[in-house]
Amino acid sequence: MAIADPANVTMDLPRRDARDKLLGRTRYTVDQSLPRMLHAAVLRSEVASARIVRIDTSRATKMPGVRAIALAEDAPGMHGIGIADHPLFAYDVIRFHGEQIAAVAADTYEQAQAAVRAIEVELEPLDPVLTMAEALAPDARLVHPDWKSYEILFEGGARGGNVAWEATVVRGDTEKAFAREDVIVVESCFRVGRQNHVSLEPRAAVASYEDGRYHIETSTQAPWTVRNQTAKLLGVPPSQVRVTVPPVGGGFGQKFDCTLEPYAAILARKSGRPVRLVYSRQEEMLTCLCRENAEIKIRSAVTRDGEIVGREAVVLMDCGAYGGEQIFLTTMTAHTLMGNYRLGSVKLASRAIYTNTAPNGAFRACNGVYNTFALKRHTDEICEAVGMDPLEFRRRNVLGDGDLGATGQVFEGEVLGPMLDRMASLRDKSPSLEHRAGNRLYGRATVVGTWFIFVGPSTATINLNADGTATLVTAGVEIGQGTMVQAMPQIVAHELGLHPDDVIVRTADTDAAGLDLGVGGGRTTVSVGAASRAAAEEVRNKILKAASELLQVAPEKLVLRNRRVEIAGVEGSGMTIASVVQHAQRATGPVVGSGSFTNPGVASMPGCAAGHFIDALEIPVFSVHDCEVAVDPDTGHVEVLSYKVVQDVGRALNPRAIYGQIQGGVTQGLGYALHEELTIGENGCIRQSSLETYRVPLALDTVPVQIDLYEGAPSIGPLGTKGAGEVPILNVAAAVACAVANATGRRVQQTPLTPPRVLGLLLGREPAIELPHIADDWWENVLMKRPSIPVRRS
Amino acid sequence: MARSIDDAVAALADRADATALAGGTWIMRAPIRREPPIRFCVGLTRIPELNAVDISASEIRIGACVTHARLVSALAGVRGCEGLVTAAGSAANPAVRQMATIGGNLCASAFPASDLAPSLLSLDAEVELSGPGGDERLPVGRFLERRGSLEPGILLTAVVIPRRALKSGHARLPLRKAGDYPVAIVSMTAELRGDGAVEDIRVTVGSVEASPRRWTQLEQALLGRRLDPNGAYDLAQAEAHIFTGRDGVDAPGWYRVQVLPALARRAAQAVLAGP
Amino acid sequence: MATNILINGEAHVSTREPMTPLLDVLREELFLTGAKSVCREGICGACIVHLDGQPVVSCLVPVGTLEGREVRTVESLAAEGEPSPLQQVMEEHDVVQCGMCFPGILMTLTSFFRERPDAGRDEVKAALVGNICRCTGYERIVDAAIALAKRS
Repeated sequence: MAIADPANVTMDLPRRDARDKLLGRTRYTVDQSLPRMLHAAVLRSEVASARIVRIDTSRATKMPGVRAIALAEDAPGMHGIGIADHPLFAYDVIRFHGEQIAAVAADTYEQAQAAVRAIEVELEPLDPVLTMAEALAPDARLVHPDWKSYEILFEGGARGGNVAWEATVVRGDTEKAFAREDVIVVESCFRVGRQNHVSLEPRAAVASYEDGRYHIETSTQAPWTVRNQTAKLLGVPPSQVRVTVPPVGGGFGQKFDCTLEPYAAILARKSGRPVRLVYSRQEEMLTCLCRENAEIKIRSAVTRDGEIVGREAVVLMDCGAYGGEQIFLTTMTAHTLMGNYRLGSVKLASRAIYTNTAPNGAFRACNGVYNTFALKRHTDEICEAVGMDPLEFRRRNVLGDGDLGATGQVFEGEVLGPMLDRMASLRDKSPSLEHRAGNRLYGRATVVGTWFIFVGPSTATINLNADGTATLVTAGVEIGQGTMVQAMPQIVAHELGLHPDDVIVRTADTDAAGLDLGVGGGRTTVSVGAASRAAAEEVRNKILKAASELLQVAPEKLVLRNRRVEIAGVEGSGMTIASVVQHAQRATGPVVGSGSFTNPGVASMPGCAAGHFIDALEIPVFSVHDCEVAVDPDTGHVEVLSYKVVQDVGRALNPRAIYGQIQGGVTQGLGYALHEELTIGENGCIRQSSLETYRVPLALDTVPVQIDLYEGAPSIGPLGTKGAGEVPILNVAAAVACAVANATGRRVQQTPLTPPRVLGLLLGREPAIELPHIADDWWENVLMKRPSIPVRRS
Repeated sequence: MARSIDDAVAALADRADATALAGGTWIMRAPIRREPPIRFCVGLTRIPELNAVDISASEIRIGACVTHARLVSALAGVRGCEGLVTAAGSAANPAVRQMATIGGNLCASAFPASDLAPSLLSLDAEVELSGPGGDERLPVGRFLERRGSLEPGILLTAVVIPRRALKSGHARLPLRKAGDYPVAIVSMTAELRGDGAVEDIRVTVGSVEASPRRWTQLEQALLGRRLDPNGAYDLAQAEAHIFTGRDGVDAPGWYRVQVLPALARRAAQAVLAGP
Repeated sequence: MATNILINGEAHVSTREPMTPLLDVLREELFLTGAKSVCREGICGACIVHLDGQPVVSCLVPVGTLEGREVRTVESLAAEGEPSPLQQVMEEHDVVQCGMCFPGILMTLTSFFRERPDAGRDEVKAALVGNICRCTGYERIVDAAIALAKRS
């Protein structure tokens, strides 16, 4: 069979959903309304920690317009990732400010809110555990006293007390490495705050209860997760939940988990009417499943030539009141903080810590952004200590073909090295903008980063229609990234000799499409793409077989192109695909194909990683960023003068769409690096309750990013693709922080670099981060036992 | 919606819970500030006098419902008003400037980051009030002190700026490039002699404390000297200690005070850049 | 209390409470859902509409103040379904991502270009300071807008 030339699949395909989005006609979940629809509001805790003595809804029930009230007894299940520690409603204990206690459905939203205010809750306050230092103190109150009784959903992580999960890596002998006489030991501490996604469409759902099943229309990235978690929480079989997804107004990871859908579902069943639940911006600000705050202590033993012979690190990730995504994300520290560079020996503890604060979640490149920040700043501190140029250090130490990653995975191909060369030529092409700094302090940094494609299961079905078009059915969701309106039609069309416009993409519906892990981790193009390609292959084979009989030509001699089945090399020969389909419908039945995909699994070194959900990266993704900044010594304002990205994309199916992802991801990263900060007040409540105090980048706060797409790195993705949407944010905080450190000569240990923080650094009034609650002896930080045979010191 | 000032004053005096409503950008956000919902509003935007801008040889009279955007277009190029135009043209964001009014801005006593208030204070502006007891005119500084405790029925109707041979500049410091409320403001209005020496000067600091106030120590220091931005910076550094910055979610108090010398320099630069 | 408003050229009588934001009237009474409810405090700009030709944040406009006034929403930009030149250029440059911010951005830029048809890059960016976009990083939207400004 002739293999279609992958070059043909590359194009700047316009988005089919752009027109209606521009006309204001697209109906997102927040725009949906149904006849007789009710409006829901949620009662939330106004304290961070308390015992619930009594909840009385009798007054609220009698309020005007009230149709249903949902409470803990309506949702007996617990959910989570790794550990089922999260109930839908607080039922005996309040664990964070903003925790859900009850939900009300009424004729209007105002009535629902009024009823929520009328619910009486009697609480017995408890002292909240608000920081990770408090949570790890020897006498700390436990956020989950019953942690031992929770159902374990994934085996292998160490747990105990306020440590929700601990993943460790022990490879080689770091004690020996640090004891060497020819090494310099460099230790660094870092702290980062939380980042809110600020998806413009808040979390929203409209639920109905029909024929004994729940139908939830929701703004989610992961319809199958919503289906399964809702069922688990409600204690019903998953098959009783159907999830459909209209266009999603931004996700960035926030909508990768099930959150508000079960409330709407319960209220729909109890009231017998459709129920709309949309979180207000304040609810989104205070309870959003942020990128977590974290604390990092890392130390390295480095020779004078810059060889890293040993590295030890402890990373504390604040998961908030419930484990959630952070349990999984403990995995990623090994591949980010301990990634990028060749390491002689490794000890890593990555710990998710419970506190009485709002639970955190997944956010584009997750903990990768701050681990990359910490690693690059640490690297620059090493360079200073050994007296080596940071760029030279990176060149010497980045992982190349055959090198070992932290968990002993063998990396394939020279990628980061050549990417650094490409960045060098990009820098040569455009002159430095140092002159624009004027009287301000000028700094520059080039940083490397490693992330991954989170693969996992996807399925696809393709129905070929009698008019020659194809209908692609998957549970993939269009959240704005363009994959479902660009890459998917391109992949299917390429396989079937169609134009992408001939491929109809069904919006996600768990009743129509099979299991899918959701849109996140840059996986859609790869996983949904691979499943779609497999489905297209099946369809293609059926078409070729049917056409072969009709044309009396061996299938190997036929090709699909220009909407026709042609004899290879004879343009315009053969017949249209439409006529083959029409024939097949009469002769053998409609033409349909299906395909599936899941992670292939990549080997790590046995026994060195514990508690990891993924021991090795199936598809690593690399990026190199370069940034120039000017720092105002009077006000601490950091202006980004230029920004450059070289990104490993495998193959760029739609370069223009990737440029859009990179410009957007870098800008979001600039927000994280410079402006966006959530802090917890003494009452445990997030202090930035609106977009007035939580500052996302505005149009004047970004710059046009100069981009070079690096193609050709190894990838198992269809047509050599990798996901391109997640990784653009990865290196930004690192690049900006290293550039600011370069400009100011100060030790940058914290992000965001807001003007007050930078001015504080310049004036020497910013206290150094020291993290005394992370012990210097690595073994004292972990639940796993120190080996009984003492490590021999040389 | 009131049709005249008398109507509005009567309606406001009539109900103790009545609130005057101009552009709406402050009052409509009451739920976000978790304030009780406002039950009764008297709409002012249809009252013709409140929407007028009159520029005479001796003074500029601005109706209370004149919006920030209108202020920019009406005062562009008017000598002495450069700082006010900067203040009105950079507050909040473009759509809010189409709605938010000068009167509403001065009356929002819980809003410390107003751009207009320090600018008007440095221009020696006065406000006109109407009430059941008649009309009253008082300096904007006095009004800012009194605004939290005005009797019901008192309505701010106009802002009056005396016209003199002045130059003005307004230096604000948002944390992003724009679109924020400023964390600190220095507004400066000066009369310069032919040799560049300061004949008369008023410097106001906004957003640093709960209410804007004059920086008389810096004024005294600048008086009689040639206005020089770097000199202003140095003098401001010596005098900044008199302010106690308010700690906020956006910025700590020390920061607001620390940046004042840089803002004094920028304000002086703006004054000198004027026509 | 009834308020008579001209919305996209059609007379509408709203009977909502006078302090109801115009945004809610548009979305809930007329199902004109182009304007989005995102921050409800005048910062994000997703709800911008034209009031007597000027862009305003409809989340902060009390409907009771609108008697006899004219409102235009993003739905009115495309005359008879034909996208406006601004809408066309955004489509051609492939700058849309999730799309939630575009109704507001289009309303801001439509009135901005009416007054400043030859605006430069920095002016366009300054004009967009009241419109939050979380997906695109703005620059490609500005590129498209500048391309239109150059064309005209």
